[in-house]
Amino acid sequence: MLRSTYFDGRSPKAHAVRLHLSGDWLEIVGDTETSDARQDADNAAPRLHLRIPVREVQWPERQRHGVRLAHLPGGAMLSHDDGPAWDAWAASVVPDTWVVRGMQSWRGALLAGVFSIATLVAAWAWGVPVATRALVAAVPAGLEAELGEQALRSFDAGGLLPSRLPATRQAAIRQALEDALQRASRPGSPPPAHTLHFRRAGRLPLGPNAFALPGGSLVVTDELVTLLEDRPDVITGVLAHEMGHVRHRHGLRMVVQASLVSALASVVLGDTTGWLATVPAVLGQQAYSRDFEREADDESIRVLRANQLSPAVMVLLFERLREARQKDADDDGGRPFALPIAIASHPSDEERIARFRHAR
Amino acid sequence: MQIEPTWGAEAPPSAAPAARALPVAFTGSGSEYFRIWIVNLLLIIVTLTLYTPFARARRLTYFQGNTRIDGHALGFHGNPRKMFRGYLLMVLLGVVYGASGQFSPAVGLFAFCVLAAVWPALWRASLQFRLANTSWRGVRMRFSGKLQGAYTAMLPSFVPAIALVAASQFMQPAAAEATAAASKPPMALVWLMMASMLAMIALFPLSWAWIKRYQHGHYHYAGEQTTLSVGPRRFYGLALNVFGVSLLAGLIFSVAMGVGVGLMAIDSVAVRAAAIALVIAPAYLTFLGTLSSYTGARLQNLVWNGTRSPHVEFRSQLLFNALLRLTLKNVLLTVLTLGLYRPFAVIATTRLKLQAMTVTLEGEVDQWVADTASRMDDASGDAAGDFFGIDMGL
Repeated sequence: MLRSTYFDGRSPKAHAVRLHLSGDWLEIVGDTETSDARQDADNAAPRLHLRIPVREVQWPERQRHGVRLAHLPGGAMLSHDDGPAWDAWAASVVPDTWVVRGMQSWRGALLAGVFSIATLVAAWAWGVPVATRALVAAVPAGLEAELGEQALRSFDAGGLLPSRLPATRQAAIRQALEDALQRASRPGSPPPAHTLHFRRAGRLPLGPNAFALPGGSLVVTDELVTLLEDRPDVITGVLAHEMGHVRHRHGLRMVVQASLVSALASVVLGDTTGWLATVPAVLGQQAYSRDFEREADDESIRVLRANQLSPAVMVLLFERLREARQKDADDDGGRPFALPIAIASHPSDEERIARFRHAR
Repeated sequence: MQIEPTWGAEAPPSAAPAARALPVAFTGSGSEYFRIWIVNLLLIIVTLTLYTPFARARRLTYFQGNTRIDGHALGFHGNPRKMFRGYLLMVLLGVVYGASGQFSPAVGLFAFCVLAAVWPALWRASLQFRLANTSWRGVRMRFSGKLQGAYTAMLPSFVPAIALVAASQFMQPAAAEATAAASKPPMALVWLMMASMLAMIALFPLSWAWIKRYQHGHYHYAGEQTTLSVGPRRFYGLALNVFGVSLLAGLIFSVAMGVGVGLMAIDSVAVRAAAIALVIAPAYLTFLGTLSSYTGARLQNLVWNGTRSPHVEFRSQLLFNALLRLTLKNVLLTVLTLGLYRPFAVIATTRLKLQAMTVTLEGEVDQWVADTASRMDDASGDAAGDFFGIDMGL
């Protein structure tokens, strides 16, 4: 028997009641020992008496704090202030679910925490890449090409200038790339569809650079061609690296992965201010793009070897890039700064130089 | 201890009804909510977020069950199964919207327009769901705002936003043509963009006022309906104050950032890392925290001090510096514990915000009678509110 408070849902008036549990039934009887009930009796109001099946009641979960509210069919409600007393009384008919047991014990909570972290790590390390591969496979090539063309258009609108290289030079580089890819391709599997675009970086901070866009658009800057004009083999190596990005559809994978990672980050920091969630999402992304760069470097090594060139020639690229950066920085009067590795989207230069040097 | 209903017994029926201030208390515990939160989190992760509506129902039950007005708690009646349907709907909409933006600006714009078109309806449905599933002393509340009212309330913020988005869509290809032809971009578009940006800023406090008036003008409880008697002028005043605070805080922030950037020029990884961790990040977080605390505290006070119904009056006396101190402490501890402090932070903030409120009631609430309007059964509105990040709390 438990003394509690009953609300009929039609008026905020509180009724003192006694609760009895017998078998599958909950009995609610107006309490005659309070002044309120005596007033009811004076007004000749009928004494409250209800019988409700236990399973039709919405029982509250066990907690330490908070008022226990049990919702009855028809909109009525029982309200009990003393949580532990209610839990003790209701325990016979309302066993704890395992969820509640986990929530009410520190051991359960600790276990849940450990499992959460383990699952998150597994998702980030394995789940997201697998899901990405599946999603990317489902995207048609036409759509991917459209994405790449959009990106190139926005680069052009954003300050990328038309190339100033003579047409013969451009044709020579294109031909060299085709020959190299032809020699490196396995019979029956031609290199993926691609278009080589030449652009000038001008005032953009790109400098000597080359990048691959989804759908096979390769872009190389005049500045890079000029930097390596005496070494067409290194230019081929760079373009082969970019072809690696095209072959593995890295551009599209980045887009899909970025969405999945930010979704993951926002699940954890769910009900929160958005600005805290972007930091782990960005950091998490960087590790994936470093993997992509390594894959692309492997492709470059493969193509160079198939063309009887030593992959170590690529070391020249890093040396000349470093000189160019140094020169830029000296012109500006400051020193270039290297951010810690987590922020950098490429593996460190040292690591990449070592890979090229030791490739056999 | 059992609640003794003594209302009717104490006041003799013939006396004039006195106004009584009802204490508002929040009894939630950080350590208990932490355990609830972490188990919810695990279930959400392993079910790939399908458990979210059930977790949300549990969270609302906990928070409302620990909100006591005059000793009686607010009940939550939402059915998690219905909330699940709403959640699936919102996930679908969210994915379609997010994906459309990736593939083409035209598709993205179309999706944005569709979202804008349904947003006020979803917002209203969310308000209806939350209120119809909240009760005090057994009697449900209700939201009676009409659909047209929801669209009107959002008009001052939507119209300039749509104009701006449309103009920027047409701007991109036009600008590209212009640079190719070495001529200026069409001036009409430029003026339109600037005008819509200015309109957005100028109309923002007005839209604030209309939205709050719509929200706070349609809360029902047992025959009482609230109204908001604060006009747009007060919202403009608040907006100007917020702007002033942002200038002041911005000044301090710029000084700190100057120091930080200066330190970044030193060629030492340790100094640079320290600059980011001890100067730049704290400055940024403090700036944002100050703005959000100031706006939050002043807005809560402004809106609730002007809300009343025939027999109920609300007052809010949330102090800016108290909220600021709490917010900064929460952010610091959340960052230091890599997010584990979050549930404690939420409980502490809710306690501060709720205990700044007082409810004054005239008459005997026992005599009031519930509205007979039908119950709100569609839960998709609720999911929209949470999914897209708009806070729909009371």
